[in-house]
Amino acid sequence: MRIGLLTEGGYPYVSGGAGLWCDRLVRGLDRHEFDVYAFSRGEAQEDEGWVPLPPQVGRVLTAPLWTAGDDGVVYGRRARRRFTEHYGELAAALCTAADPAAPEADRFATALYGLAELARDEGGLVAALRSETAVRALERACRAPRALRAAREARVPDLLAVAAHLEQALRPLSLDWYEEDGLGAVDLCHATAGGAAALPGLLAHHFFGIPLLVTEYGVRLRTHYLTRPDSSPAVRALLAAFHGRLAAETYRRAAFITPGNAHARRWQERCGADRAKLRTVHPGMDAAPFDEVGESQEDADPHTLVWVGRVEPAKDLVSLLHAFAEIRKEEPGTRLRIIGGPSGAEGADYLGHCRALAAQLFPDEAEGPHSVGANPVSFEEIGGPDLPTVADAYASGAVTVLSSVVEGFPVGLVEAMLCGRATVSTDVGAVVEAIGGTGLVVPPRNPRALAEACVSLLRDPARRARLGAAARARALELFTVEQNVAAFHGLYLETVARTPVRRLRLNDSGDPLPFATPAEARVPGHWTDRTPRAVPVWAADPPVGAATPAPTTEAAR
Amino acid sequence: MTDLGELRRETAEPGGPLLPAPDVRTAPADEPAPAPRRGAADPVKALLHRHRELCEQAVDPLEIAAGLEAHGVTDRTAARFRHRDVFSLAEELYARVPRDGDSRPPAATAVPRARADWIVLTLLPGALCAASLTALRLTHGQTRLLAAAAGVLAVALALRAALRRGPLSTGDRTATAPRRSTTASWTCWLIGYALLGDGLLGAAITGGPDGLPTGAAEGDWPFTTAPVLALALACAPAAWTAHLFSAHARRRLASSRGLEDFAASARPALLGAFALFLCALAALLALSAAFLDEPFAHPQTLALGALLLLARLLTVHGFTHAPKVILVATVTAQAAALATVFAARLPGCAALATPVDTLVTAWGPAAVPTLTCGAAALILLVHASRRLTRASAHTHPERPR
Repeated sequence: MRIGLLTEGGYPYVSGGAGLWCDRLVRGLDRHEFDVYAFSRGEAQEDEGWVPLPPQVGRVLTAPLWTAGDDGVVYGRRARRRFTEHYGELAAALCTAADPAAPEADRFATALYGLAELARDEGGLVAALRSETAVRALERACRAPRALRAAREARVPDLLAVAAHLEQALRPLSLDWYEEDGLGAVDLCHATAGGAAALPGLLAHHFFGIPLLVTEYGVRLRTHYLTRPDSSPAVRALLAAFHGRLAAETYRRAAFITPGNAHARRWQERCGADRAKLRTVHPGMDAAPFDEVGESQEDADPHTLVWVGRVEPAKDLVSLLHAFAEIRKEEPGTRLRIIGGPSGAEGADYLGHCRALAAQLFPDEAEGPHSVGANPVSFEEIGGPDLPTVADAYASGAVTVLSSVVEGFPVGLVEAMLCGRATVSTDVGAVVEAIGGTGLVVPPRNPRALAEACVSLLRDPARRARLGAAARARALELFTVEQNVAAFHGLYLETVARTPVRRLRLNDSGDPLPFATPAEARVPGHWTDRTPRAVPVWAADPPVGAATPAPTTEAAR
Repeated sequence: MTDLGELRRETAEPGGPLLPAPDVRTAPADEPAPAPRRGAADPVKALLHRHRELCEQAVDPLEIAAGLEAHGVTDRTAARFRHRDVFSLAEELYARVPRDGDSRPPAATAVPRARADWIVLTLLPGALCAASLTALRLTHGQTRLLAAAAGVLAVALALRAALRRGPLSTGDRTATAPRRSTTASWTCWLIGYALLGDGLLGAAITGGPDGLPTGAAEGDWPFTTAPVLALALACAPAAWTAHLFSAHARRRLASSRGLEDFAASARPALLGAFALFLCALAALLALSAAFLDEPFAHPQTLALGALLLLARLLTVHGFTHAPKVILVATVTAQAAALATVFAARLPGCAALATPVDTLVTAWGPAAVPTLTCGAAALILLVHASRRLTRASAHTHPERPR
């Protein structure tokens, strides 16, 4: 099967965010062919180059999203009218309040595909989206009688900002990927993120009927809400409407949607995803580095708590230190190892603050009157001589603690589970989903509850062992690379099985040939030699009589 | 329970500061809610107070939901507020927060400031041109040729530097423009014609020229250096007027309500800036003519200066096509005028020179550049008054990251 992998700022580039996951997917499914269609995020990323690609990657097409070349096409009267009409529709769909009865979604989609068809037929969409025509259409839509209140208040700079943002967001429409030998030739589009990355998949679906699979580890709409806080209300309202409608349209057209966790799943449901299409596929983690630690329980110090992660305010180490003070009252010999470097300048400040707090709360203590003392709380980083790997960090303690107040998918927690460690974590993000019943969960910002849970585990080695073993078994079942790859493999097959054959063979007189594309065409790998594809003789002949069955699928559009 | 009583009183007020309208959709406040923490009757109210800014600025409930989640509110937390999930909690917050419609004052846009670097750079071509003209006067023979070459080179480099910075620079636009507009050669021709063309045309009509120009203001093929000096000096007023226009446009952009408003206010600003530049150029022309003891050459130089300024302004704001076409047309017209005069010397082609001849005998050789440049400048002025008054011409192109 030929899979078009759509990425944004990720896979083939070295510094891509979700690159590792895509790499594992592509390498894991070596019986399929992959065409990678990638958006780069910046010039620096392009300069750094690609990761080494396995042979199953057929071709890689990249396009920048951060800049757009103007192809110099100036629209004539007819094209301009077409553009004004579609862009006006798009703007009107954004400016009117979302209606659950969904004619708006159709309106948005029609306008979007209208612009895409215009770009495909004529080109020159980038210049048109930047032009005064676009701004005027936007202004007209904002001043229309049924427009949103926030949109009606839009001033000229707001209009310009929205137009600029729309131009940026609609850049994928101007690409030359939507040809029969481009995205039209793949059997399935797999978008590795929502938003811009899914847009080519939507258009491939529109132009060629290619099924679309959307994977979202973080919901793009939510990211959009969190990253544009500074604009005026009008800009935020219009852009939120655009991204919301785009997400809804993506979810509507997708054959399957695979959120990475229940949190993403809830957001997708909220944005209009059909529950029947949702399949949660948890991120896969490489279990091999943790095997050794996970199998043996010897080197765990029974009086040591471990915290592992990047130090930043959202991790709430202060609360952990306060909890540790409570623990020390109950279990005086306990030590706490905080392992991990700061993330960013804010994290560095926070780390300094935590160090000061630890020094204040816990005086240095020594074994006897003649030995040098040390603080029961130690701040360390991975990579030193005593902690060469992450697995060693988890191995050094009997209990792993997670004290975050905000968390997405807790990678550190899953690593601790893979190491077979008993864990105490706060109830944030996808923690409960990951841990299941194999660890203790306490409310966030509650040092006393955290301390009680830790003390109960520190005092009960047998329970620790039981929980640790259960956690490791759960992690190996749910969060390995193999299950991730197998889940996508199954989804690919299911998607294609549901998609009718769409490439119609035509005979000499232009009539469709039924059964000319046999089912074996989808067998993975090369199923024939160089010899021409076997077609039944009776199918290759021109059909007899006029009773040619009508095509049940649409060939191109 | 005094605080409970206060809360009730507050909620009962019709125009209360926190609850402008009693919300029947959500949990009613007068029924004793199971106290989440400290026994407040309305637990959402405390939350509303804590996230007031978020809720007031949010454009839809999902934005509040995203913000709440970023602050650590989960579905379990939402359950304490008697909601099924964060989304419905966010919907209640969105519905309850007062939206009186006082939009925030428009944020002050970054109006470009006059900076020392481009101010100095725009003065440079004029200064260098004056210096090299002085050097030309003081030297003779071989040295004079060298001085001329050095002067041309220095002025060209200074001009290039002046156009790289400040309000006359194309900035980031060239990075995104498909083709760099190659108007430099056409501009060179126009300036070269201002320097040599009138002399050549005059000589050609009378049967000359009999030799190469000597560089003097008199003789067979005279130089007219005053226009060139004036144009070089006019770099500074050009930059200033462009700066004034773009600063005004940026300010109006921030304050205008609609696109028509903006266009209506930008048009007089453009015309004002243009007139200001013409006045400055006329003054500089008078000064340089006095300095060089040359006759005034007002009309053709003013027309040329206007043409160059408008072409540059359009290019700076991203409209590269029209200036190029107009400059090419102007150059072609001037070249054709010269060519017809010379072609008329061929046997049987004497009629070719009649139009130019008539023109020159009526108004002198300056009529050709005045007419061509003037017509071109007029066309560009009309074009600019339509294009540069659009709001989209004054946006910042985004920087590549």
